[in-house]
Amino acid sequence: MSRSSVHSPHGPENEHKTMQSYVVGFILSLIFTFIPYYMVVNEVVSGTALLATILGFAVVQMIIQVVFFLHLGRGPKPFYNIVFLVFTVVAILVVVGGSVVIMHNLHYNKTIPDQTKSLINDEGIYQIEGTLTGACRGQHDNHQVTIKDGKVSPLYTAAKQCDTLTFINEDDGTRKISFGQHENHGSYAGNTEIEVKKGRNKTITLSETGAYQFHDHLHHETAGVFTVTK
Amino acid sequence: MREFLLGKLDGHALPHEWFTIAGSIAFIAMMLATILVITRLKKWKWLWSEWLTSVDPKKIGIMYFIAGGFMLARGGLDAVMIWLQQAFSSGDSHGYLSADHFQQVFTAHGNIMVFFVAMAFIFGLINYIVPLQIGARDLASPFLNTLGFWLYIAGVVMVNMFFLLGGEYAATGWLAVAPLSGPEFSTGVGVDYWIWSLQISGIGTTLGAINFIMTILRMRAPGMSLWKMPPFTWGSLCSMVMAVTVFPLLTATLFLMFFDRYFGTHFFTTTGGGDPMMYTNLIWMWGHPEVYILMLPAFGVFTEVVSTFSRKAVAFYKTNVIGMIGVSSFALSVWLHHFFTMGASANVNAFFGVMTIFIAIPTAVVFFTWIATMYKGRIKFDTPMLWFLGFVAIFTIGGLSGVILGIPPADFQLHNSLFLVAHFHSNVIGGVLFGIFCGITYWFPKFTGIKLNERIGRQAFWCWVIGFCMSFIPMYILGLMGAPRRLDHYDASTGWQPLFVMMLIGGIIIAIGLALQIAQIIASFIQKNRLRDATGDPWDGRTLEWSVASPPPFYNFTVIPKVNSRDAFWDMKQAGDHKPEYEDIHIPKNTAAGIYISIFAFFIGFGFVWHINWLAVVSFIGILIVFIVRAFDEHPEYTLTASEVKELEAARTKQAKAERRHNPTNDRDEDMGLWELIKVIVTFGFGLARKTLTRGKA
Amino acid sequence: MSRHIDHEAEATDRVMFGFWVYLMTDLLMFAILFAVYAVLHGNTLGGETGRDLFSLPLALQETLLLLTSSFTCGIAMIAARQRKKAQTLLWFGITFALGLAFLGLELYEFAEFIHEGHTMQTNAFLSSFFVLVGTHGLHITSGLLWMGVTLIYVMKRGLNDHLVRKLAMLSLFWHFLDIVWIFIFTTVYLRAFV
Repeated sequence: MSRSSVHSPHGPENEHKTMQSYVVGFILSLIFTFIPYYMVVNEVVSGTALLATILGFAVVQMIIQVVFFLHLGRGPKPFYNIVFLVFTVVAILVVVGGSVVIMHNLHYNKTIPDQTKSLINDEGIYQIEGTLTGACRGQHDNHQVTIKDGKVSPLYTAAKQCDTLTFINEDDGTRKISFGQHENHGSYAGNTEIEVKKGRNKTITLSETGAYQFHDHLHHETAGVFTVTK
Repeated sequence: MREFLLGKLDGHALPHEWFTIAGSIAFIAMMLATILVITRLKKWKWLWSEWLTSVDPKKIGIMYFIAGGFMLARGGLDAVMIWLQQAFSSGDSHGYLSADHFQQVFTAHGNIMVFFVAMAFIFGLINYIVPLQIGARDLASPFLNTLGFWLYIAGVVMVNMFFLLGGEYAATGWLAVAPLSGPEFSTGVGVDYWIWSLQISGIGTTLGAINFIMTILRMRAPGMSLWKMPPFTWGSLCSMVMAVTVFPLLTATLFLMFFDRYFGTHFFTTTGGGDPMMYTNLIWMWGHPEVYILMLPAFGVFTEVVSTFSRKAVAFYKTNVIGMIGVSSFALSVWLHHFFTMGASANVNAFFGVMTIFIAIPTAVVFFTWIATMYKGRIKFDTPMLWFLGFVAIFTIGGLSGVILGIPPADFQLHNSLFLVAHFHSNVIGGVLFGIFCGITYWFPKFTGIKLNERIGRQAFWCWVIGFCMSFIPMYILGLMGAPRRLDHYDASTGWQPLFVMMLIGGIIIAIGLALQIAQIIASFIQKNRLRDATGDPWDGRTLEWSVASPPPFYNFTVIPKVNSRDAFWDMKQAGDHKPEYEDIHIPKNTAAGIYISIFAFFIGFGFVWHINWLAVVSFIGILIVFIVRAFDEHPEYTLTASEVKELEAARTKQAKAERRHNPTNDRDEDMGLWELIKVIVTFGFGLARKTLTRGKA
Repeated sequence: MSRHIDHEAEATDRVMFGFWVYLMTDLLMFAILFAVYAVLHGNTLGGETGRDLFSLPLALQETLLLLTSSFTCGIAMIAARQRKKAQTLLWFGITFALGLAFLGLELYEFAEFIHEGHTMQTNAFLSSFFVLVGTHGLHITSGLLWMGVTLIYVMKRGLNDHLVRKLAMLSLFWHFLDIVWIFIFTTVYLRAFV
């Protein structure tokens, strides 16, 4: 690994051992390459189980090569090399695993276009080189829509772009406010469904212009309209 | 043909707006002035062989400070521009900056302050102090060190290059979040300049960090186990381990962004199956730990300073170190708190929220060890200690507001507001910048052999603290009132203007503080005989860097010290002197390879910014050639024999004795005040003018 | 004189350790590419998926070539440490040839894809595939370049300590690239057929 790889006075016996370790490592690596290959080609198991198995074989082969090819742990001062390797493996697990989990979770909750809209709005950069990005410039008026006894008041809200709209739920049940028609849900400014628990309220920023219908997904007769103009 | 030779470069790229013209003139004037002065003084050869090609970490450290100082002024100018715009752009007035220009200003401000100011000062401190603290003569790889420094300089030039060619910087915010930075929205070269300035300096940072890790883990003086390492070295080690972990992530992410922009791939685009959120996810994996990379060396500085000025060993040393290790181990598990509102489920948000709040615990542990160190100590309130106390006050505000932001429901309310901006400025100014100032004041005698002027230093400190509070406490309030960040204009009905004006006044006070710091350095050099530190140990220090002369000889230690305890030098002082036994010293030769590689790296970036492919390819081949030539140079060192060392030491001791006879006073209240300084400068100016005039007559 | 050897040995120790840390940073760079591939590999916009494009036998051939080259590289290092110049050159020569063959196969695969109209501009899946596998290929290329240059110096200067150190670093790099390839083989090629 370290000093031994260049300087130490290797005896022939030592060299023989090193040679042996390369041969063993090579054979084991071959085996651990062919088994998963065979398993995939013949679909011995399927789905997640197969994926987990081949990943397991990859990890084992990595360990084999680290031990037999890189000879980690055999040098005179291997401690920090091992520490760094372990540290890096953990970091890689965090980076790859974290990304996969987080991105999966985000996509489960929101589509990519909707996320992009929220993202741009959250950056607060409303134009670049004169092209509008869709984000709001500053904050303006607040409008309120109260839902009580299944009725929306006011039924119609007229707002300017970048105003905010607050849904207030004064009923007993949870309201799931969706946009568009009941059969054909749409989204507004990155929001697909806004859940307002009883007695609570939620605020959205009206960053997109146009006329929009909204309704309670569970009681679609509870509905209203808002328009956003520039 | 023209397109092949010059890419996108044409006459439109030349400066044609007021700020690019002004910037270009300033840029060129500064260059010309420097060249003129150096030529007049006939210092080119000296500059090249003593400084630019030097591999001595002490000289590289000083060069980092100088470059970082320039960039601090440059980034500070951006800050003043932002303050000015926001103070006046209300109602019918739209301020003096266009929306696009304003965005470029705050983007540049963020990049410059984080990459080219804070990183530069931190690397400067580590370069100078760490080898001295661990009893090493040099860094593990002197070549990597110069290379890292010069890559940083290439980044500095790149980030200012848009003044001369292109006329625009990224208008996307400091992290250039996709898809705003993608080819859809940002069609100009601004984002390309952003990518390449960060890419080049980022690679330099990675190389530098590898080097410091090698140095700290492999080159400590005999007897110095990990648990005997000085706290600053510990902070640097934690920070550099984090740097090697996350800077590669930045490099890879920037490359992907570059591919999207240059080759039309679909990683972060909104079309072609790309995913802009992936960019946000990746960039914050680097972005959050980056803050700790800057913070931990500053923590180390504070630990040293508290211990020295309380005249006590660090209390709960191991707890302190474990606190720093704790911060760095959890650094890579909080990044999602930068996008709580992007659609992650409550469980995911809760996990990262808890981790974010949890990281306050090791930080608080470190704070308590400082308090315990001060407890029952005989505290001396010199300027370094003042910076520490200022840091405690401001950083605590910043840390606690961070805990508030770490609660996802609160973040839904506060995100994208000035509250957030005020939060991280409290941490970065109150923590990192004050730490840097503290460290520079503390080690200035080591760097130059001259103690810094106390009186003006105190005034500068108070300007910074008062200015900071006036500028950023209104910002917290504005944030809570709903003012979004990155605001170039707001309605008069909001009633925000008085607070924005107050912020501007605070900003001006900070600028005065910065000016006073420059005055402080000038005043110290004017009184250099009085403030000379002939002992090498002006503060009655405890760690090894104080055991050598100020400034140290180029080989640092005549004899590598043997370390038996944590406060190695303190023990040596108690034990008394003994005769050194001289030995041969291996000194690395100067090399210009780092400069050549960085010039080529700059042109790779420049070629890709302007789509001049041949330039990038040629430069890349250039790097390969320089690298191969350097790698197979088998004699990068020379030997200083024991007898030569003995002679050098004898000469130095003689000089030090002579200086000590002058016996500089220790009464710091008689340091030159600001008025005296102005008088001296005015008198000097008149004298110079008279001399020139009389010479003209004759 | 003994001090001098000590100094050299310490320098070697430091450099090898530093190179190890560098390899770790390189691994983390690959981690980003793997993460991007893992997240984006399904975004084909209805186009061909990995299952339609990849050829498993070809991937297996590449794997075997690289694995064998990793093995011969190890044998070459044994010879180099014993200062057996001819054997060192022979075994590194074989390693070089195997590496070149690997690179050839990879380029052939890329050329096929591009010829069929599957470029890295097509969709996010292909972008992340080309960049992940291509980055590995670039590493192999730089490894080959480094091997070539070092071997020329070995022929000129013989096997001195300095060059053996360079070769030791190179062999670490080469083994490391094989380890990265195991994961490309598994998570890119094999996984497409799961």
